[in-house]
Parts: sequence; structure tokens; C-alpha cells
Amino acid sequence: MAGLATTFGSGAMTNSINEITGAEVIFVIGSNTTEAHPQIARRILEAVDSGAKLIVADPRRTEISRSAHIHLQLRPGSDIALLNAMMRVILSEGLVDDAFIEMRTENFRELRKHLLAQDIDQLAAVSGIPASQIKKAARLYAGAQKGVICYCLGITQHICGTANVESIANLAMLTGHVEQAYTGVNPLRGQNNVQGACDMGAIPGVFPGYQQVSDPLIREKFERAWGKALPSEPGLTITDMTHRGRENGIRAMFIMGENPVMSDPDASKVEETLKGLEFLAVSDIFLTETARLAHVVFPAASFAEKCGTVTNSERRVQLMHQAIPPIGECRSDSEIIMELAGCLGYSMEYENSAEIMEEIALLTPIYGGIFHDRLETCWGLQWPCPTRDHTGTPYLHKYSFARGKGRFVPAENIMPDELPDDDYPFILMTGRVYHHYHTGAMTRASDILSREVPEAVLEINSYDAEEKGLRHGDMVSLRSRRGEMEVRVKPVDTISRGMLYVSFHFHESPVNRLTNPALDPVAKCPEYKVCAVNLEKA
Amino acid sequence: MMETGTMRESMRNAVTDNVFMPNETVISEIIEENSTIRTYTLRFTDRAAAFSFLPGQFVMLSVPGHGEAPISISSSPTSTDAIQLSVRRAGRLTSALHSMKAGEYVAVRGPYGVPFPVDELKGRDLLFVAGGIGLAPLRSLINYCRAKNGEYGKITLCYGSRSPSDIAFKNDLDAWQADGSVDVRLTVDVPERGWQGRTGLVTTLLDDLTINNSNSSALLCGPPVMIDAVISKLKESGMDSEQIITTLERNMKCGVGLCGHCHMEGVLICKDGPVFNVRTLENIMGATG
Amino acid sequence: MEKNILKKDHVRPFLRKLARNSRLIAPLRTSHGDLLYQEIESIDSSEIDLSEQPQESAKQFLFPQQEQLFTYQSTSNGFTFSPRKSGMPTVLFGLRSCDISAILYMDVIFLRSPRDHYYLQKRKDTIIIGIGCNEPWDNCFCNATRTGPFLEIGFDLQLTDLGDRFYVESGRAVGDEILKKWPQFFSPVTDEDEKLRYQLMLEARSGFKRHVHVETAFQKIADNSVSPSVWEHLARRCDGCGGCAYICPTCTCFTIFDRPLSPHTGERLRTWDACTHDGFTRMAGGHNPVNTATDRLKRRFMHKLYFDYKQFNRPGCVGCGRCVGICFGGVDIAMFVDMVCAEKRDQRQNATVIGDLLIEAGLITRKQLYKALEKRDRTGMPLGNILMEMGIVTKEDIANCLADKVERP
Repeated sequence: MAGLATTFGSGAMTNSINEITGAEVIFVIGSNTTEAHPQIARRILEAVDSGAKLIVADPRRTEISRSAHIHLQLRPGSDIALLNAMMRVILSEGLVDDAFIEMRTENFRELRKHLLAQDIDQLAAVSGIPASQIKKAARLYAGAQKGVICYCLGITQHICGTANVESIANLAMLTGHVEQAYTGVNPLRGQNNVQGACDMGAIPGVFPGYQQVSDPLIREKFERAWGKALPSEPGLTITDMTHRGRENGIRAMFIMGENPVMSDPDASKVEETLKGLEFLAVSDIFLTETARLAHVVFPAASFAEKCGTVTNSERRVQLMHQAIPPIGECRSDSEIIMELAGCLGYSMEYENSAEIMEEIALLTPIYGGIFHDRLETCWGLQWPCPTRDHTGTPYLHKYSFARGKGRFVPAENIMPDELPDDDYPFILMTGRVYHHYHTGAMTRASDILSREVPEAVLEINSYDAEEKGLRHGDMVSLRSRRGEMEVRVKPVDTISRGMLYVSFHFHESPVNRLTNPALDPVAKCPEYKVCAVNLEKA
Repeated sequence: MMETGTMRESMRNAVTDNVFMPNETVISEIIEENSTIRTYTLRFTDRAAAFSFLPGQFVMLSVPGHGEAPISISSSPTSTDAIQLSVRRAGRLTSALHSMKAGEYVAVRGPYGVPFPVDELKGRDLLFVAGGIGLAPLRSLINYCRAKNGEYGKITLCYGSRSPSDIAFKNDLDAWQADGSVDVRLTVDVPERGWQGRTGLVTTLLDDLTINNSNSSALLCGPPVMIDAVISKLKESGMDSEQIITTLERNMKCGVGLCGHCHMEGVLICKDGPVFNVRTLENIMGATG
Repeated sequence: MEKNILKKDHVRPFLRKLARNSRLIAPLRTSHGDLLYQEIESIDSSEIDLSEQPQESAKQFLFPQQEQLFTYQSTSNGFTFSPRKSGMPTVLFGLRSCDISAILYMDVIFLRSPRDHYYLQKRKDTIIIGIGCNEPWDNCFCNATRTGPFLEIGFDLQLTDLGDRFYVESGRAVGDEILKKWPQFFSPVTDEDEKLRYQLMLEARSGFKRHVHVETAFQKIADNSVSPSVWEHLARRCDGCGGCAYICPTCTCFTIFDRPLSPHTGERLRTWDACTHDGFTRMAGGHNPVNTATDRLKRRFMHKLYFDYKQFNRPGCVGCGRCVGICFGGVDIAMFVDMVCAEKRDQRQNATVIGDLLIEAGLITRKQLYKALEKRDRTGMPLGNILMEMGIVTKEDIANCLADKVERP
């Protein structure tokens, strides 16, 4: 988010999902697309079927990398080294798009200076990829007319997440691969409405539509609509609340549709914080690990029981209809909020979600023309959609970047916060599996899905497994500086030696007790993807 | 395809037996065979629900709340009016069963599947080769043959276990050896202190035997790797693949050929098996390469 | 076999009588634009929509996605098992030929010995009124599976849309009974009607947009001439989501599980299952005899196109084309058949080498290769010439590719 905001001026997919099919070269970095975004992967494979070239950068030999023409199996957390190396190749081989840089960007001189000081072989050594492979990938990407980059949490969940994203933006601008159809930079959102939640201001420093709380004019607009004075300072980030809640003076919390006891790093600390609260209310569709700690639990309606919109990765706002009436005492999220607000002495009266959407349109310029009645008759509208007669925006930054000129922000490779040492010699990466969703609150209630993947599995390189005397199915205890858990191992040859991979869906193997809460300084996103661990047979 | 009015007629007149309904049984005895295998003796609470069966057949065993699984019958139809199931703790259902005590209830439906060809085996020497829990269905046939005094030839059992303490069905092995009805030969993969017997794969036991190929049949059950090794060994030594008989294990949900889980190369293991001779299996597998 | 005319104006009054004591299922458009077979609550306020193929088959009305088999209750004296009561009489109206053929297939699976009680209870009182397809849709290939666009058997009544009226033929005794019971709705067919109907059937047969050579694929599988690369190509694109099996009108596999409702009560349910799931064949100890995506896809397509063919002399696919639209990765049965048919046995090795080299060089796409291979099989022309004729590559391209190949170690 923050990385694309500093470079392009807007943090969202610059293209539409369907445009991927028309790309000439697709560069996937830090995304297990086939498992986590099958609908995107489908477009990528279609493009490959019609002749597109695919480059995948991932420490694991994932399913999508099997279809790749080039698989860059980099060391975890060395993305900037790889990207800088690619840019260095592009620069020294004269593959840069001079006209684009001249017309549409600024600060190129800084980047150039920075890159010229870099040594390709040294960067290659840091990333663990042969320089020849990097050169091949750089030429392929730079040589394409239509080049698309897709990235995901493998890029952002690092302490250098923002710098990673900025480097990706640098690469795209250097080769003129933005501001067009079939060409751009595309962060893939993890859930059906993460984009929508960000759009609606679920980020500490902004109101809906990325309007800064620090801007007095904006604040005044919202104060007039809501009839209350609003803070001018950004609020707290999630880890500020879940890890340092006490220090930050938090005494009560209301958590909606989140399961931080399972999903946040250093989860034991989260549990401790929540248990120390004077009051905790949780709203969820199932009694999650977090809800179990609450004083009050609100049974929330599921997607099928309510009406409203979700906004997906490609900024498409889509209307979801109520399919069945809420079961039992369930209520929709908006009803819960409205009633709660009423009890707290602030009256929120909206007849239905369409009326809420009207207020969003009124106060949020990028959603200005999006109303339920319009969404009824189409497959959704892609923001920015400022007025009622606007048909939406398939790709961003046409004619110019949202911030005016695209800004190159050079970055140095930053090593992960925690590196392996003698006590904790393995690097642990975390991720997802196809059949489960986040902390499993929903998918583990499905018999077929939990049969498919009944428990967490720790992937370990087969040579490492042999050295450790571990066989498929053995239980191991996995330890980091923060916590430990037990998990079954599966020797594989899809990851390099010294690395481990596990999913975080299972409360029996709560991997986030082990993960590192070190944050990216700008985006405040924790480094889920790298922490140092050790393991032994349980 | 089936079509015409007669089908509709036959459907209307059909006596609709619901194959999915299990019958209640009570656990009358539990034998601890080793640390993971137990033999359960089950008696039908409704006598009318008791069934006759032949060795090699299986039942669908229910622990209501934990589901259902196919379990081969390990007792002989000749022995008592109850049935015995020998169950290794492996999944959710079997773990639930292992936590139960005598006097508690479970449910079964069956018997299902093609049994061992007990008539065709009459008069032949029988070589049983088993690994671990694989002895369960063979136990049924061994006890059946012993009960049919004199109808079958010489009975030999080669039985492989992981370690001496993993050797299951010790009561049976002792009884068979004691009355001389079965020539029992044991081996383990991992020896322990004090183990005097053989170490190594069960195939090594076969080296000691002189098999009269013209009048012998082999009956195998165990892990797939063991079965493959034994089959090739027996074929090498000249046994006709029609006389090598094995029983297959598959994931099954209905037991009667409806659910599709055990489909293998055009064959339904629950209905067309689980007992197959190796020649038939080779034909099945060879059909499509 | 009775033949009659039913004016479209009289469909609603006819259905009102026919479905008086039954549930009536027919294609309805939802408020969000989807066309689905649905239970009709009120004949007057529902507009039956026969304009296109419904998005799902009618499988769920005889074999629901989730179905209770019985409830259990445990006491200190044992268990009580209470089976679910049987279904009610049903009229399935406006079924497409593929969907009727699929029901005939389900009959074979569920009604051989032993019969499936729950299927039988619903099936025995079901009346099927089908409609032939005057115009096949984009992904349909029922001509290749011999399950449409019009049927000769399987229906109680079959309609043909003649504009303002339906041509109605009866396929079974039940159909005759219906025609006799409510003669007021039907009038005799004229020669004109017969001619028009015949013309429509002819046009429908030639109206298929896709040619999926199912029988050729069967032959190739039988000859053992499907190269492993076909399975691998498809397996790489399969996510194992099970969508193909759930949407497939002839996929009848199910799993059974218990759902406790309280400490002492619960229900045993069955739900649709899919052979592309890893857990479908995995056993309690963790061993899985069908362990890879490649094996699972092989099992799936072989079952439908080979084993069913051998057993019933027709494939276990009714050519409805629904899996074409549902799969994320394009791993549908039509794609499989296309790929199998595009391979020619004797030239396979050589052609794949050139074809693969050109694909690798980014000069042609796999789809283009299949098209070219198809043409080569028809004409016997060399593959390179065909690709040049199609204007996709030049002589130089091919020469360069082969030269690169020679240079390789």
C-alpha cells in the first residue's frame, strides 16, 4: 500500500484482472498464485497458453512456478537485491524506456546513481540466484511491450515491505510498464474485501478513500457529515494495539471478523494483551479462538445472510445480495455497529446498506458515482468512479500517475530482521493452502475441506529431513525465540535447504506464536515471511 | 443403458431395503493385540439382524458421531454367533473405537464384498503371508480352514511385524502352533533385546519354504510394498498368478458400489473385491497400461 | 408413441393440473440474471424461461448436494436410528436432453443392486418433461456423446419449440397417461408441424459450434496412445477444487459423514464428493493409492470416457459443456478430448518436438499447435507447412528453432 502510494500515488492494482490474459510477459513475485488467487492464476495460465512468458520469483517451487519459463528461487527476504540486479542489467544493457522516464517520472537520476553503484554478481550472491538467470529475466521483462507484475504478501510481509514495493514500482517505471492496458503493477489482495476495508479507511491515518486525517479541509467535511469532532492524528496500527495495547492505554476492544490470536505475529503476546483488557467484545460468525476470550460475543451474519458490497483486488465494487435470512440471532455487521453506537449515545440510523453506500459516495471521491442501483445491473464498477455517469476505471494512471509524476525511490537490500544462527538455524516462512481460508474459522467447519487438509504440515527440504532423522509424518517441535508448537513434517524438494514452510490455518499448530512481530516502519506490516527457528523430533 | 417402462414398474414394486441403515451391536469383549490393534467381539442386540458371511468379507462399522469405515471380519463364521473385528488405531473413527469399553454400543452393516474362494481352495496347501494388521482377514480364513478339519491341505503362515512388541494376535499364533494346525513363521523389521527369531522382510521367510506349486495357493494381506515383493517372489518361484490371492484396502464410504471412492480401473473394490487373485488384478491394471 | 401440439398459452394451465400434488421444478431466471432449475412456489407468479441451458443440471433434485440419511440417538441402552422420510412426487419440466440423459445415467448407478433407497424414493414418482434444443450453445457437444440435441428415449414427454406452440411426444406409458388424462390441452399434429419439427432437428444437429471427438478419444485411450504429457499439462492446471464434479450432471460420487447435533444425537449425511480431491482416496493411515494430481485426473477422465464407454457402450459424459465454463484452469473434458485427438500416434514424437520448440520460442501457442495438428491429421500435410500456411510462422522461424535445437548439448 504505502510503497505504491509514494511511487504512483495510489495503492491498488493498476490493471484489471482480465487484462492479465493479454500480457506478453508476466512477472509474479512473492505470490503463490495458484493456491491463493486461483482466479488470477487462471488468467496467467491462459496468457501462457496463448504464448505469454512467465517469470516467477519465489523461494519455494510452487505450482505456478512449474508453469514458469524462468523460476527465480531467491532467498527469503532478498527481493530488493533481485530487483536491483534486474534494474542494473536493464540499465547497463540500454533497455530502459527513456521516453517514459522523461515524460512521466521524476527522480530517475537518483535511481541511476544508486544502481550504478551496485554490482550484479554481488546482488546475485545475496539473492542466491545465478546472475545469468537474473539477466535472462531482466531482458525478458524489459523487452516486452506489455509487461505485468503481480505481487502479494511474499513482498509486503517483510520489514522492508514498503521498500520491496517501491523497488517493484521502480522496475515497472524504468521499463515503461505502467499507465497502460495489459501493463502494470498489481498487488493481489488476500481476501474478497481487503481492498474494500482499506478503501473505507481501515488504516490508521486515513478516512475512506485515502483522505488524510491530517488534512483540516477533509476533516471538516467528515465532521459536518458525522456531527462530531474528529482526531487529527492517525490512530494505532494493529500491532500497536495487540502487542503494545497496555502501553498505549487501551482498556477495551471491539474486534469484528478478525482472529488476531491466530493471525497476528507473536500470538502469545496478543493473547496476553486481550486477556489483560477490562472489556473485550468480538463479533464473528463462529466462536473463534479470539471470540473465546471475549466478555461479549455478537453472532454476526455470514456473507449469504446480508446485503452489501465488497471491493476486490482490481478495485471492483460488487454488490452481494442476501441469499437466506440470518439464522438464529445473527445480525449483519452494520446492524451490530448501529445498535452498539445507539447504546453508546451516538445515533446511526441507516435504513439499509444502500443508504450507507450513499454516504460513502457523498464523502469519498473515488466512490463518488457508485450506488447500489447502478451495481444491480452490472458486474460491478472499478474505482475511481467519481460521478454517476462515470463507467469506472479498468486501469489506473492513464495519461499520468495519480500523484502527478511517478517517483523513483531507490532502495538498498535490507536483510530480514531475524536471520538464522547456531541456536535457530532454519528460516521459517508462513503461508496458505488452497483449501483453507485464513485462520480456518470458516473452512475448518466444512467436512470436505478439512478432510482435504486436516492439519498443518511443515515442509522441510528432504536432505535436511534426512540429516535430522525425520520421516514423513513425524511430529516435531518447532521453536523460535518467541514460542513453540508441534507440527507434522513432510520432506519435500520444493524448498531449498535451511528453509521451512508451514501454513497458519490450524489452531493446533499456532505458528504465529513463533513469528516475528518486527514491522515495516512505514506500512506497519509484520514480517510473517521470515523468522529463525529450530526443530527437533517431538 | 437401462430404460423402458419395466424399470419404472420394478422401481414401484421394489422392496426398498435401505442399505445405509446400520444394526446395533454391543461390544462383548476386547482383546488387546498390540499397542495399536484391538480385536472387538460384537453381538447383535437384535438377533434377527445377525448375518452369515464368509472369510474375506467386510462390514461398515459405525461409531455414531464419528462416522463409518470398512473393517474386514477377522473371526471365522464357524466359531460363534458373534463377529470379531480387529482394528488398528489410525484415524478419527478408529481412535473413537479404541476409547470404548466392553458393554458399549457400536453399529455395523454388511457383510459386503467377495469372500475368499473357500470352495476352490479345498484340498490345497495354503500359504498365508501377512504383515501387521493384514493378518486380520486371513485370521478369519485360517480359523475357518482349521474348523473344516481335513478339508484343506497344509497351512503355513509367514507373518511380519515391525518389532517383537508389535507382533499382534499372539493368542491365535500360540494356539495355532500349540495344536500344530498351522506352521507359524515370524519375522520382524526391527529386533529388540531378547528376540531370537528372524529379522528382515517377510519375503526372507519364503526362502525357507518348499512350495508344491501345483497344489498350493497363497493368500496375502499387508502393506502394498510387502504385497508387491511377495507376489514377485512367488511368481519367480513358479506359482501361477491365479493361485496368488490378495485382499485390497481402499477408502470406502458405502461398501455397496454406490459412492465411487474405491473405483479402480473400472472395478469397484467393495463389490468386485476386496479379494482378487493376482491374474485378475494384472488384467485390470493392464487394461489401460 | 403419441404426438400432439400444445399451444404455449396453455402451458401454465396444463402445469397447474399436472403439478397439483407435486413439487414442480422448471428453469427460472433469478433476480440476478442466473437461469437455474428451481422449485416453483406459485405457477402464476413465476415465468418459466426455456430460452437457454440452465447453469446447473437437475441432478440436485434426485441426488441433493447434501442429504440426511438418518438421525441417531444414543442412550445407555444403545442407539435409535431414524431414517429420513421419503421424497414427494416431482414434475421436472423443461429439462434439456443432456440433463435427462444424465438422469438415465444416475438410474444405472443408483438403481442397480443394491438400490439406493434415497434416490429411488425421489425417482419413482418423478415425471420428466424435456425440451429439445433447437440451437446448441457455445460449449455443448451432446451430438458427440449421443445425448442430444433431441432424445428418442428417457423422457415422459418431450417438447419441441415450434414458435407459438410445442410439439409434444410421449416417450413412455406415463407420458401417454398424461396426454389421455388432460386431452383438452392437446390437439393433433399436422403435416406442417411434422415438417417444421424435422427441419428444426436437422438444423440443431448442424448447429454445434464445437466438435469434440469423444469416440476418437475413446479409441485413443483404448489403444493406449495418450501421451503422458497430456495428463501432465492438465494436472499442472488442476487446483483440485472439485468444481467439475459438482457441476457435472453425471458425477454421482458422494461421501458420508456424521454431524453431531448434541452430545447424544446427530445426523448422518451424505454430500457430493469429487475424485479430484486428494482426500477422496486417502485412507485413515495417510496412504493414498491415487496420490498425484496427474493420477487423479487420469482416473477422472478415464472413468468418464473409457470405463463407462466399455461398460455401457457410451461415455459417462453427456456433453453439456458445463465443466468448460467452471474450471479455473481450463481442465475440462472437452479440452482433454481436443488434446488427445490432436496427437497423432506415429508422428507424435516428431511433431511434439517441433511444436514444443516453437511454443518454447514463443512463436506459436498451444491452441494454435492443436489446430495445426488437427489439420495435419486431416490432410496429411507436414506440420511446418500448415503453420506457415496459417500465417503464424515463417520458414526462417522454423529453421532458427531447429538450429537452436542442434546447438543444444
